[in-house]
Amino acid sequence: MSILAQQLVLGLLIGGLYGLAASGLSLIFGVMKVLNVAHGELIMLGGYGAFWLVALLGLDPFLTLALVIPGALLLGVGLYWGLFGFVVRADEETRVKNSLLIGFGLALALHALAVRLWTADERSVPTPYGGAVFTVGPLSIPAVRLLSLAIAFALILTLQLLLTRWRWGKAIRATAEDWQAALLTGIDVRRAYLLAFAMGTALAGAAGTLVTIGYSVSPSIGLEWTLKALIVVVLAGLGSMLGTFVGGLVLGVAEAASAAAFGGPYREVIGLVIFVVVLVVRPRGLFGR
Amino acid sequence: MVGREVGRPLLEVGGLEVAHGDVRALGGVSVFVGAGEIVALLGPNGAGKSTLLNSVAGLLRPRAGTIRFDGEDLGHVHAHQIVERGLALVPEGRRLFGGMTVEDNLELGAFAERARAGRRASLERVFALFPVLAERRRVTVSALSGGQQQMVAVGRALMTNPRLLMLDEPSLGIAPQLVTAILAALVAINRTGVGIFLVEQNVHAALGLAHRGYVLENGRIVGEGTGAALLRDDHVRRAYLGPLAVRP
Amino acid sequence: MTWLPGGGERRWAIAIVLALAALAPLPLAGPRDDVLNFVFLVLLSITLAQSWNIVAGYAGQVNLGHAAFFGLGALLTRALWTSGAPVVLAMLAGALLATAFALLIGVAAFRLRGAYFAIGTLALGEILRTTVSNVLPEISTLPAASIASYRLAHRYYLALILAAVSVLAVAVLASSRLGLGMRAIREDEAAAEASGVGALGLKLIALALSTGLAGLAGGLFAYYHISYYPAHPFGPQWTFDALLMTFIGGVGTLHGPVLGAVLYVLLKEYLAVRWVDFHLLIFGALFIAIVLLLPGGLVQAAARARRLVTPAR
Repeated sequence: MSILAQQLVLGLLIGGLYGLAASGLSLIFGVMKVLNVAHGELIMLGGYGAFWLVALLGLDPFLTLALVIPGALLLGVGLYWGLFGFVVRADEETRVKNSLLIGFGLALALHALAVRLWTADERSVPTPYGGAVFTVGPLSIPAVRLLSLAIAFALILTLQLLLTRWRWGKAIRATAEDWQAALLTGIDVRRAYLLAFAMGTALAGAAGTLVTIGYSVSPSIGLEWTLKALIVVVLAGLGSMLGTFVGGLVLGVAEAASAAAFGGPYREVIGLVIFVVVLVVRPRGLFGR
Repeated sequence: MVGREVGRPLLEVGGLEVAHGDVRALGGVSVFVGAGEIVALLGPNGAGKSTLLNSVAGLLRPRAGTIRFDGEDLGHVHAHQIVERGLALVPEGRRLFGGMTVEDNLELGAFAERARAGRRASLERVFALFPVLAERRRVTVSALSGGQQQMVAVGRALMTNPRLLMLDEPSLGIAPQLVTAILAALVAINRTGVGIFLVEQNVHAALGLAHRGYVLENGRIVGEGTGAALLRDDHVRRAYLGPLAVRP
Repeated sequence: MTWLPGGGERRWAIAIVLALAALAPLPLAGPRDDVLNFVFLVLLSITLAQSWNIVAGYAGQVNLGHAAFFGLGALLTRALWTSGAPVVLAMLAGALLATAFALLIGVAAFRLRGAYFAIGTLALGEILRTTVSNVLPEISTLPAASIASYRLAHRYYLALILAAVSVLAVAVLASSRLGLGMRAIREDEAAAEASGVGALGLKLIALALSTGLAGLAGGLFAYYHISYYPAHPFGPQWTFDALLMTFIGGVGTLHGPVLGAVLYVLLKEYLAVRWVDFHLLIFGALFIAIVLLLPGGLVQAAARARRLVTPAR
């Protein structure tokens, strides 16, 4: 029983990162109907960013967030101006299709680039307190992963605050609801798209950093994390960042439960099956409008 | 910037041609609205009234013709920048931000620079015009009745601090007593110097408060005149004021 | 995709089949094995690309789970053939399995539109790959007797025939009423439905044809390789390869995927020497450029170039 509980706790810990990973995708898709399937690759890049900052500058891994997040913001601006900004000129359905295809090409290119630059090996980041563990009864909770979960949650809360209190955050939400009405209230919708895309990319970068710290990074985590993010977005629906976070936790726990029930190798399958089922039965997800 | 000539209309539309794909929606439409005027735009469904308003607001690009606001050609101005110049549209069907509160919707109306400084005063004015909104300021707009939503829509457009306010069918689907309230509010707004360009199914009421009006049929202007003159006009009476044509 | 090519498929089909026929005597000329292997790879790629092209180009849906059908074909073919069944029958059985699975999930899958169909099929493909990799984790190697009697030329000819079949299948489809109906769906599904074109039925037919061909290609893969992990043909890279080849060549055309396949394999084999995935970097970038600027692929580019050179008629 306590083994199961232990597995579930570990599932919860990674679930928070699933939620963070999904929040960026959800924000971008919700606001501009752009489905960037290279989102996982952006997470991967964030992870490598953290890795190299630690390797080259010797920073504490968690502190690299202070550099990765702004860096990812800039990357997001660049990607929007250079690429996805062109996609939004079309109508909604074409946008989704084109962004999917473009994201796909981008993912391939980024993956190939990463393999070339950093080889296909897994990298992880050592923390001085890496082995520390909180013991709660029979459960062992790795301190690093717990801290990551807390940071992920804090980032989601910050995002939520930005969207509800910040003038441009409200503009972003308004644009997501009805971009023509947003234009009619004087909101520069293109600017709102740019901000949303940059923020979404920054969230991906942050998620990547936390993934590298708690687990590891390699060029091939891209597809895996894109799928995780997609699963959570479909599970939780659009519109609520907190809902997305919870969706991530649900996925993490579901994976742990299925691994306990059917064996480790089937951990990945449960998420995908949930995904397909929810997609077919209830495309709006569990929490979505 | 060229100084304002006396008597030049605030809004001048000349020879406007707009197409939806291959279909010609507007074929050479010319109208104008003077500063402080209330002008009504009448016509049957599908005549192109919404198309005209949406084109002026910058949501549609015309194929030919000019749109001038206070002398400036709006041809290459983006929709959100048009709001910045003082031209606001209350679109058909309200188009509110459904998941947000009344207050949020109204505040977003003051997003543009020209509206930001005076937004507190603007908000007070909107609440004075529509007291019920003040009571329900924290309510999510999707929970409001149609009439209250329309008030929020008008209020939101007012928050942009416009010189000309355009409205597309504000009384559609609204209970009669609320329609009266909304139209009375429009008169009050107009008295503060804001011009009004109104597309309205309720022809009788519209012509009652309008200084002038136009009749648009099949994408062309087929009639114009003062409000009173149009009310007496035979064609208008037969087509829009007869017992079959009036909508409450 | 607004670029919609007109007829001309018959002419291209004949030209391509003739070109393939010209390749038939190659093994008799006693070339090196790696030349035969290279051409084999091109032929397999042509088949795979054409199979993906059917659903994408003619029914307008992006199937990101295509590898699942490639893998299923390989799975059953390998099992039956290594148990003694004649390889052609084994391949047909594999194709049948792929098609059956496709029809099973097709009705549910086609309820999803556009991007949702794409990511849904992606997930399905991954589900199959993960499951197979768990159930059959061990490498599948041919028994010694089969290795001793391995004839590359047999594989070569089978690949040649399969490539020709795939090209002919697309040609027949494109110029048939079925094909026209599918094009109508691709352009505007709502309008097509309204005019009485049974959208779901046509999509299912396209899916059946597409996955059947993919299954055959998978069978060929199983026949060709001496040893491989059973989950390998289920991997998403097979889908992505097919997608890239088809799009870059020209989706919805007959000769586009062929052109794309040749180019792709050439670049892949050439560039693989120095930098393993370099071809993916190039193709990824090329792909983006095509989606944004030239949705008709290289075929469209060639058509435009031709129009610049020849005076307008």
